[in-house]
Amino acid sequence: MKAVGARIPRYDGVAHVTGRTVYVDDVRIPNTLWAKALRSPHHHAGIVRVDTAKAEAMRGVRAVVTHTDVPKNVYGHLEALGIPADEPLLAEDQVRYKGQPVAVVAAEDEATAQAAVDAIEVEWEERPTLLDIRKAFDPDAPQIHHWGNWYPHFEGEMDRRQIRRGDIDRAFEQADTIVQGVYRPAAIEHVPLETQVCQVVPEASGRLTIYTCTQALYFSMGVVATHLQVPLNRLKLVGGTVGGGFGGKVDTATETMTSLLALKAGRPVKWRWTREEEFLCSSTRAPWHMEIADAVSTDGWILGRKMLTLHDSGAYARFSPYGLTKHSFHHSGAYTIPNVHFDGYVVFTNRVPTTAMRGFGVTSVSFAVETHMSRIANLLGLDPFELRLKNANRIGDTTPNGVVLTDPSTVPTIQAIADAIGHELKAEYRTMTPDPRAGDLLPEHLVAQVGDPK
Amino acid sequence: MTAAAPEVLLPTSLQEAVQAFGDGAGVTVVAGGTILLPALTYGRLKPGRALMLSKSGLDTITRENGMIRLGAMLPVAALADGPEPLASAARNVADIEIRAQGTVGGNLCAPPGVSAPRGDLQGPLLALGAHVRSAGPGGERTEPVESFLADHQSRLALEISFEEPSASGYARVDRPHAHTYTTLAVSVARAADGTVRIAATGAGPRGVRLPSAEAQAGDPEAAGRAALADVTLQDDALASAWYRERTLPVLVRRALTQLVENTG
Amino acid sequence: MNLTVNGVEHSVGSPALTPLLAVLREELGVLGCKAGCWQGGCGACTVLVGGQPRRSCLVPVGALDGAEITTVEGLGTPERLAPVQAAFHQNYASQCGYCTPGMLIAAHAYLEGGGTDDRAAIQEALAGHICRCTGYVKILEAVGTAARGDAAELERNLEVGEEPPVEIKGSPA
Repeated sequence: MKAVGARIPRYDGVAHVTGRTVYVDDVRIPNTLWAKALRSPHHHAGIVRVDTAKAEAMRGVRAVVTHTDVPKNVYGHLEALGIPADEPLLAEDQVRYKGQPVAVVAAEDEATAQAAVDAIEVEWEERPTLLDIRKAFDPDAPQIHHWGNWYPHFEGEMDRRQIRRGDIDRAFEQADTIVQGVYRPAAIEHVPLETQVCQVVPEASGRLTIYTCTQALYFSMGVVATHLQVPLNRLKLVGGTVGGGFGGKVDTATETMTSLLALKAGRPVKWRWTREEEFLCSSTRAPWHMEIADAVSTDGWILGRKMLTLHDSGAYARFSPYGLTKHSFHHSGAYTIPNVHFDGYVVFTNRVPTTAMRGFGVTSVSFAVETHMSRIANLLGLDPFELRLKNANRIGDTTPNGVVLTDPSTVPTIQAIADAIGHELKAEYRTMTPDPRAGDLLPEHLVAQVGDPK
Repeated sequence: MTAAAPEVLLPTSLQEAVQAFGDGAGVTVVAGGTILLPALTYGRLKPGRALMLSKSGLDTITRENGMIRLGAMLPVAALADGPEPLASAARNVADIEIRAQGTVGGNLCAPPGVSAPRGDLQGPLLALGAHVRSAGPGGERTEPVESFLADHQSRLALEISFEEPSASGYARVDRPHAHTYTTLAVSVARAADGTVRIAATGAGPRGVRLPSAEAQAGDPEAAGRAALADVTLQDDALASAWYRERTLPVLVRRALTQLVENTG
Repeated sequence: MNLTVNGVEHSVGSPALTPLLAVLREELGVLGCKAGCWQGGCGACTVLVGGQPRRSCLVPVGALDGAEITTVEGLGTPERLAPVQAAFHQNYASQCGYCTPGMLIAAHAYLEGGGTDDRAAIQEALAGHICRCTGYVKILEAVGTAARGDAAELERNLEVGEEPPVEIKGSPA
């Protein structure tokens, strides 16, 4: 292992500091047309009529593409993971978020493309909107997704991620107190310095070369191939340096539509989003609503946890069921809680569909769980480190989703943090190890439950 | 992004600039460009005639007998170590690159911001009792900055002048980083003749005098409370009216306290 | 009108209100300066105009007849890096690299103006520049390194295996 610990120069470092690194917008292909999109100005509306005649007739316009041009318009990007398709590439008879693309135009310059977009006539029929995930479950909430207001297609056609273990009611009865908290992290924009961009070149062979800022070349290749209904060997995706992605460049947001324009116009097409488009129309990290109620003893045992998660998926499912699944595994955090009751829902709203962002699904629950642990410590007047050590994962513990832990790092990590900041721990906590719990460290009523995989 | 191609006038003297401006009809003034260029790029403005002032010689600053004259094209950065409260406001405009390009005139004439207040220098200039010399219909005229701000659509600002104050104060809501516009700021100045003027930036669409606070300038606490009568506060991307309502009296009090401390 | 870019004189045909950034990238094919927002908000487009750092997306080219423009390509080359470029490379001050050209121009101007390794002064000089990747610390360190002009620091050899690796418990030798 000679490389680990050595200072190795970035292979792209010299290019970065001399301005030689090539990003997609630095790829300059002669004869390139420029793309712009017509986007919904409404959060939720029916599309009564779309008339592109004026745009198509405009001088300098070389192609206009709507859903009728897409061989397979509705394709779920994670169908391979069992998430059925719900999102159209280009809107058909309705729009479900402000900014949803309805048509794209390719023209000799961006100003002409934008003028053509402005000349497309659309008749909208506004519909009631749902923007608050908490209201999605109200009987009188507007129905904004054909599956209902929350995702119903988890395995076994479950409408939630559900984790049950032990006897939550008994834990709540036995508790000395119940500690509750509500945690609502807001949406976060990725704000990569390079906005979404791609350049498509139709080759004489019939292949498409796609220069793309995607973080996931093969993934995007599959998405484009499926929408276009072409074999993979008809596509050549060229990646390179991404000007910041952070999870926001996995949605294959530009490649397919730009490819359709390139095919229709028979010329290279570039589509680069403005910063305003990036802020208003690109996917974000999801907002979450998490409620935690812990049954605790006055000396700091967490006997049981009840948790409800609502994940704001925006208008379509995209990757959210996957994100919620990841989230669900971590609701007990780095701690062993013998009785748990977790429900998590992927909820639809008329907002831009949400997507991955560093730590997809997990940052939310980590934030909530750790804040909640500190809240418990605060309310009980206990040391927050010792509360965590007391309830920490031990070797042999089984997590609520059935994983038997062989080398949990909770105990040494918390001890290391305490040491690093000079926080004094009582002797029994200073010497604690992740070894399986000894009987006298655990109340009798918990002994039988901890380690029980049911 | 290709910009529109209007007729562009590039006068090389003040007289030429005044003549080119005429009565201002259909003329878009290009000063530093920091506000104008994004509007052009995003297609929000399509000028017919553009008057570029970069060569008009309007970027001077003179000091004579306590009278300070700022050419409209003077960069904001040039005020950073000038008289207060202008200097503090100038130093808090964006970053060094923007300050070096943006102009005093452009800042004075900034259209009201949609999501955040603009025109950081309006408040200090109101507090300094500044006057604006401008060209336009009816010829050149000089007027107090209040009346200029109330109606300047057909005016070309040429010069802003004021007497150096005998004392000043400036208090603002802290700016977390260079990209934040001024949420709320209060400027105070005592003129040579003893008049105290107080003005706010960020309380409404443009800088505004606070006469009710001025009437109680001797009691910073009371002046702070009184100031609320002079403003209609807004919600915007930076802060709510609720927040501004609680912060304005504090800033008035602080600025007036500084005034007292700075008095010889 | 004429523009000198990195020492090369060009005749510019773009209309007078065209932002300098568009002239550089679209008309002249000078691609080192980047477009991040077209609103002056990010600093990716900063170039030197007459030696002074300016947001090229905000400068109308008509105001620049005869001006000398320097972009990141004009600071140094892979064969001969400017000290500030070497410092960024040595200090890993660049991840995706998109903000790097603008940061380098701002840092270069700061140093040319006599800037020291005072952290607060460096931060003030670079305050208009956004980086979404690095968290800024290494960028500030790089500018400090360049300010100190520490030849030893700047010429540090980054070959693989030059320094002894850290010991990893249980790893194969």
